[in-house]
Amino acid sequence: MTARANAVNSIIIVGGGASGVVLAAHLLKSPNPDLRVTLIEKRPHFGQGIAYSTLLSAHVLNVSAAGMSAYADDPGNFWRWLLERGLAKADQAPVYAPRSVYARYLKELLDDLETRERESGRLRLIREESLSISPTASGVEVALANGTSVVAHMAVLATGHDEQPAQGHAVRMGSEADTALDPDASVMVLGTGLSMVDAFLALEQRGHKGDITAVSRRGLLPSPHRKGNPIKLDVADIPLGTQLSYFVGWFRELIRENQKAGIDWRDVVDGLRPFNQKIWQNWPASAKRRFVEHTKAWWDIHRHRMAPEVYARVTEAVQSGRIRLVAGRVTRIAQGETFSVDVQSRHSQLVETFDVARIYDCSGIVRDISTSSNSVVRSLVDRGLGRPDPMRIGLDVSANCEIIASDGTVSRKILAVGPLTRGTFFEIDAIPDIRVQCARLSRQLLG
Amino acid sequence: MLTKKGKYGLKALVHLARMPTGQLAFVGDIATGNNIPKKFLDAILGELRNAGFVQSRKGKDGGYRLARPADDIKVGHVVRVLDGPLAPIPCASRTQYQRCEDCNEATCQVRHLMLEVRQAIAEVLDQRSLAEMRDIGLDDLAVGMKVQA
Repeated sequence: MTARANAVNSIIIVGGGASGVVLAAHLLKSPNPDLRVTLIEKRPHFGQGIAYSTLLSAHVLNVSAAGMSAYADDPGNFWRWLLERGLAKADQAPVYAPRSVYARYLKELLDDLETRERESGRLRLIREESLSISPTASGVEVALANGTSVVAHMAVLATGHDEQPAQGHAVRMGSEADTALDPDASVMVLGTGLSMVDAFLALEQRGHKGDITAVSRRGLLPSPHRKGNPIKLDVADIPLGTQLSYFVGWFRELIRENQKAGIDWRDVVDGLRPFNQKIWQNWPASAKRRFVEHTKAWWDIHRHRMAPEVYARVTEAVQSGRIRLVAGRVTRIAQGETFSVDVQSRHSQLVETFDVARIYDCSGIVRDISTSSNSVVRSLVDRGLGRPDPMRIGLDVSANCEIIASDGTVSRKILAVGPLTRGTFFEIDAIPDIRVQCARLSRQLLG
Repeated sequence: MLTKKGKYGLKALVHLARMPTGQLAFVGDIATGNNIPKKFLDAILGELRNAGFVQSRKGKDGGYRLARPADDIKVGHVVRVLDGPLAPIPCASRTQYQRCEDCNEATCQVRHLMLEVRQAIAEVLDQRSLAEMRDIGLDDLAVGMKVQA
């Protein structure tokens, strides 16, 4: 058999949210006339996923428009799109566009691809839920909920964040269980990160007036963005492969040194960004584990920031007492007419009881993949074709995005991109990182 | 530039990489076996322990061993801990930048090229594990013997 006979021509992308659309766009840059890309999405609209399906104008992107292009080799693509439609002004940077506008950008991008590829037949869109992926002799078969199936040489999972139902008595913001609420009722939010901020903005939009208690282990609020210039670093400057404490010591010192020179800490955190995957991949397992358990909460509030206007609204609500941030853990929930929630303070260990009409689950998006609500992911794990990564924060994949079976075999036919691959790629939730991964994968598959 | 400290540290780690898994090596043995002053070696091993590359046990039977398999520790990891940022000359570093008194770094072509050189250094040293370095020696020896024969 020649190498040519092994060439990949047909690729199914399972999941037509942002990462699926970005991957399709990169694959279709290939001039190969025999290429066939099938994009499968269960939601009515492509390009939205969970991240960009919100219609609230207050729900803006957490990355400025200058960083949100779908194309790795054309970073200004989204910014130009905004300018062309009069949605931003050239001198107005940085702009934090509503997420619904970003969904429109991805939809138009996909519409353009569909028009362009109509004659070639290289792109096919299927609106249906995928149930499972099975390897066959010549490739893969993806079973759909309507009883049919699609085949191709390989499949790429782009199922994004898990949509697990809320835990216990808590509900997800905007879900069916999130019914109308007395505008003056007190509510509790589990989590104090960016999802909590989204929940607060949604409550505000609905005219909710009651107070909000937000609880997380550390009670930390993410920081705001500020316009700056990331410092320049080379990989030769960065200690790799050390124990976590050594690295954290180095990084704190680097921030201190730069602050002495009048440089904002954000510019140091952002200067490290190009190396984050490399740093993660070189850490021993013990450092990764410690990072996820102890350091990640601290890292996240500095690294994953919010638009300054949003931060101003949130801090105003905190100062006025509308939002109360509590560092602690929920020890008991009793349901009567309302919920009585016991929270034990992280610092004083004292238990305080809160009476709230609703509990919102905003406790983060990292879940054990073996209990995934996504049937494709779960069936891969159940059949041993895939396995959780050692941190159990995603699906175990090779550095080439190939999924790894329970016996350690690296699949050549089933791959994954986006948040599912965070065990290997660490920071792979945001478009600036996902587009680079998709560009690299396209080169790897199609040359 | 690899200092004596970096070189001694690497030699000590290769020594440990040759030990059977889990077995401790005496500091005295490492020092005499590799021609390293013992006091200096103590300091070097202490830094390597802080960075998580070696573990130690105190006492009469005490000593050092690798904290993880020799395949997992890259040479570049160790050199950065002992010698700081990889750099062929002191001005070619972003974090530990040392200005040369006799030139202007903005227009210095030498520095510009040396910044490129350090990328190449990182590429080599970050690809090679301690285990590979330990085994290079044996391969070279074999090649040398073949040539002689």
